[in-house]
Amino acid sequence: MSMTATRMLARDWRGGELGILVAALVLAVGLVSGISAFTTRLQNALEMESHRFLAADLVVRGGHELPAAWLQEARGRGLSTARILMFPSMVFAGDEDMYLASVRAVSPQYPLRGELTYSATPFGDAAPARRGPGAGEVWLDSRLFPLLDVQVGDSVAIGEASFRVAAAARTEPDTASSFYGYGPRLLMHYDDIPATGVVQPGSRVEYRQLYAGDAVELQAFRQWLEPRLQDGQSVLDVDEGQPGIASALQRAESFLLLAGSLAVVLAGVAVALAARRFSERHTDYVAILKSLGATSGRINRLYGSSLLLLGALATLAGCALGWGLQALFFELFGAQLPLQPGPAGLRPYAVGSATSLVCLLCFAWPPLRRLGLASPLRVLRRDMPQENRRTLSDYAVGFAAVSALMLWYSQDWRLTLAVLAGLALTGALGLLLALTLLRGGRLLGMSAGSIWRLALAGLQRRGAANALQVVIFAMAIMLLLVLLLVRTSLIDEWQMQLPEDTPNHFMINIGPQDVQGIEQALRAQDIASEPLYPMIRGRIMSVNGQELLQTDDKTVDRRQRESNFTWSDALPPDNRVVAGQWWEPGTDQALVSLEEEYAQRMGVEVGDRIGFLVGSEALQVTVASIRRLDWQSMRPNFFLVFPPRLLADYPATFMTSFHLDSADKVFLNTFIRRFPTVTVIEMDIVIDQIRTIIRQVSAAVELVLGVILAAGALVLVAGVQASVDARMHESAILRALGARRRLVLGGLLIEFAALGLFAGMLATLAAELSVYILQTQAMDMQYSPSPWLWPLGLCSGMLLIAALGVFSCRRVVSTPPVAVLREL
Amino acid sequence: MAGAELEILKGITLEIKSGETVAIVGASGSGKSTLLGLLAGLDEASGGRVDIDDVQLSALDEDGRARVRAEKVGFVFQSFQLLPALTALENVMLPLELNGQDDARALAEHYLGRVELAARMDHYPRQMSGGEQQRVAIARAFAARPAILFADEPTGNLDTRTGAHIVDLLFELNREEGTTLVLVTHDQVLADRCQRRLRLDAGALVGE
Repeated sequence: MSMTATRMLARDWRGGELGILVAALVLAVGLVSGISAFTTRLQNALEMESHRFLAADLVVRGGHELPAAWLQEARGRGLSTARILMFPSMVFAGDEDMYLASVRAVSPQYPLRGELTYSATPFGDAAPARRGPGAGEVWLDSRLFPLLDVQVGDSVAIGEASFRVAAAARTEPDTASSFYGYGPRLLMHYDDIPATGVVQPGSRVEYRQLYAGDAVELQAFRQWLEPRLQDGQSVLDVDEGQPGIASALQRAESFLLLAGSLAVVLAGVAVALAARRFSERHTDYVAILKSLGATSGRINRLYGSSLLLLGALATLAGCALGWGLQALFFELFGAQLPLQPGPAGLRPYAVGSATSLVCLLCFAWPPLRRLGLASPLRVLRRDMPQENRRTLSDYAVGFAAVSALMLWYSQDWRLTLAVLAGLALTGALGLLLALTLLRGGRLLGMSAGSIWRLALAGLQRRGAANALQVVIFAMAIMLLLVLLLVRTSLIDEWQMQLPEDTPNHFMINIGPQDVQGIEQALRAQDIASEPLYPMIRGRIMSVNGQELLQTDDKTVDRRQRESNFTWSDALPPDNRVVAGQWWEPGTDQALVSLEEEYAQRMGVEVGDRIGFLVGSEALQVTVASIRRLDWQSMRPNFFLVFPPRLLADYPATFMTSFHLDSADKVFLNTFIRRFPTVTVIEMDIVIDQIRTIIRQVSAAVELVLGVILAAGALVLVAGVQASVDARMHESAILRALGARRRLVLGGLLIEFAALGLFAGMLATLAAELSVYILQTQAMDMQYSPSPWLWPLGLCSGMLLIAALGVFSCRRVVSTPPVAVLREL
Repeated sequence: MAGAELEILKGITLEIKSGETVAIVGASGSGKSTLLGLLAGLDEASGGRVDIDDVQLSALDEDGRARVRAEKVGFVFQSFQLLPALTALENVMLPLELNGQDDARALAEHYLGRVELAARMDHYPRQMSGGEQQRVAIARAFAARPAILFADEPTGNLDTRTGAHIVDLLFELNREEGTTLVLVTHDQVLADRCQRRLRLDAGALVGE
């Protein structure tokens, strides 16, 4: 056989027939691999960023000294290591001044990730430090200077050793994950600890080992390490370090995966449309080949090998496009992203190539395969029906292929299910529409008397084709709406989570005698604060009369544990009662309200009785309600809330949180001097870090949304193109018969607008379903209906499709009808 | 249409001898093209049999008929049926390539020269007039040296003068190659040049 696939391809290429199919394939591969590479690089970058919050890639902590052999093992594997020891300790200056500080002793390698900053003077300009304090030196939290009445250069004592104050400690990358004690921070050298003599067996301390290095080595080391962990030793994850960041990252990742999966679906649809059009246009070609004696096997071999060759070329071009796309992103927007994009590896291109293969096999091949069945009689009778009508099995294969690809790509069945549910709903509604259109009884003729009747007749005449087209439009619009909805709720939620005036300081250990004074001091400075909540520490002892286990093993759910309680007559803001009822103000009943997850862990329900030990007194209460609350609100939150009368006689301290601009932080100095027993926890650095991450993730989300919108638009164009031939043909005949421009274009406009409106309706319905499943099942978010979805879905559907349709058919009124007819 | 069966050809028995030239004439809708499609093995009859040489077409499936077409049958169509993506030369080479002939190019060039298109070999159909396109189609038909050539209204899309030229060419080549020629036409002049004329009326053979 000298007529090779290459030659046929070359000829088809010259003839322009392959353009659409190739473009669809290249675009499909390009989009999928591009988005995949883009998200991978971004994920890597975000992961690196999140490692900053640990000051390492991997952290192990324990209450006792961790084996030095682990550090050796890690270094042997080429990893870098560091050590931290944290403990609360009194710091003395001179004879009178002392203060409880939160001490961090760090080895010179600390931090392995992120940046340590210091300043030469308290509250002065912060500068990055290459390493922590040297031996014999300490860095003090700026606030400690006035509290201890010391300057840089003075000396302070911890336990039995004295140290020179070398600088002010400003920020450590892992502040968020290391609240140990609540006092102001003090940094010292790890090797100085023995000299102080404060760390004794049984002291309340936390040891940490930090590791960083090559991801593969690190993973291997982690596998080596984990079986060696003993009770009280654990690996610290980013999630634990900072739940807010972890969930933001996870949702962003879900979103990007969703976006990539939608790109896969859109690509599949585009390829299917293009292949269908290609095969329709090739039916005559095949008829001629067959009349000249080609068998169907030969036709199949011809088109099969052409397709393979085409696929290979398109995949290469697509991967190049994908690489270019993501490179362009980072080139254009890299400067706006404060983090360095990580490497993408080869997986994105493997994903792109697999997408291409699946698209070819499941979307492009079925219509081409049926080309082999085309009747040679078409050479005599061009009006013969085409053999390449899609069958139900084609749709089944396509649906299965899309599902498998999405699942593989996202590796999240809930996410896949959510999108598929929407697609299935679109398909079902489309089928219903087709049946309605076809059952309505055929209108006579073309009804060319008026624009409206012409359009209506057109809609009905091509009922099945129109319904299919509506489904394709609806799918594309649905996917875009889903993405838009998820992106909007994601970004809204992030912004709501940390509004501008989020409390960024906590104040605890407020004695009852200071409550009034502190409220006045805050008011005087015009600082918005939460109410002052009383806080009592107690131990949960029994449930329904049954004694709980006394153990430190954190895997035991029902164990005795220490908790902070508060009391309140009113339901705290942001809290929502999910079971039972909030009590009447002023009640003197022995009741308690539990936080939802706490209640679940303890296996407690409304009506159960719980026994507490507060100080030395036992207390029996009944669970009155269970609350859900937002832990990321940065407000004081409590697992357990009691009615005020019940706890009124127990000794309490108070706590609150408030927002303080960084410019006003000097206030803390005077404040702390006035209320020396109060402990202030500064969260502003952590909150700024979270904000930075969220800004970056939001930017990424917007970028990806933009690309997918473009892909969706291309599918719409391909969908319109697919139906243009038939409509052009009819319109050309109408023109030939003397129809005015207004009638022809008006009819087309109304017809396409109606299709768009239907598609918009289907899309909006399906998008609601998808988003509901996505948010409630896959992304752990609250479902909130979006009233703007309906007008947006309907209008965008109608306007887009109408504009695209009329634009694609405009030639029919500007070109002589004979020319149009000859081309078709 | 459901329920009522439509009979297109009724009781036609006919034999065409090798080398014979036969015209099938009749009004539109009389079944001419259907008969041609059946004779050429492009279509499948619901009953009866068609034989070419010793091969019973009606016993073959579509792929079997395709092989017979490749070996024995050539076509010239009213609408030329050239592949728009191929040049004149490539169009003529196509059936030769399908037959696996090594000298496809030389043969194609020879026949294109024979229809006086040696200078237009690299042109695409859209760059040619109707008459030129039909000449390419004739070259393609004869290049495969078929035993029997079917022509469906070969002059239907051409003006009278061009048509006459095409007809001359067709008969000239037919004589030279000794091909059997079966053509369907409205054109009385064309029909008159054939040795036999079969007249169809409402699907029945009404006379020669």
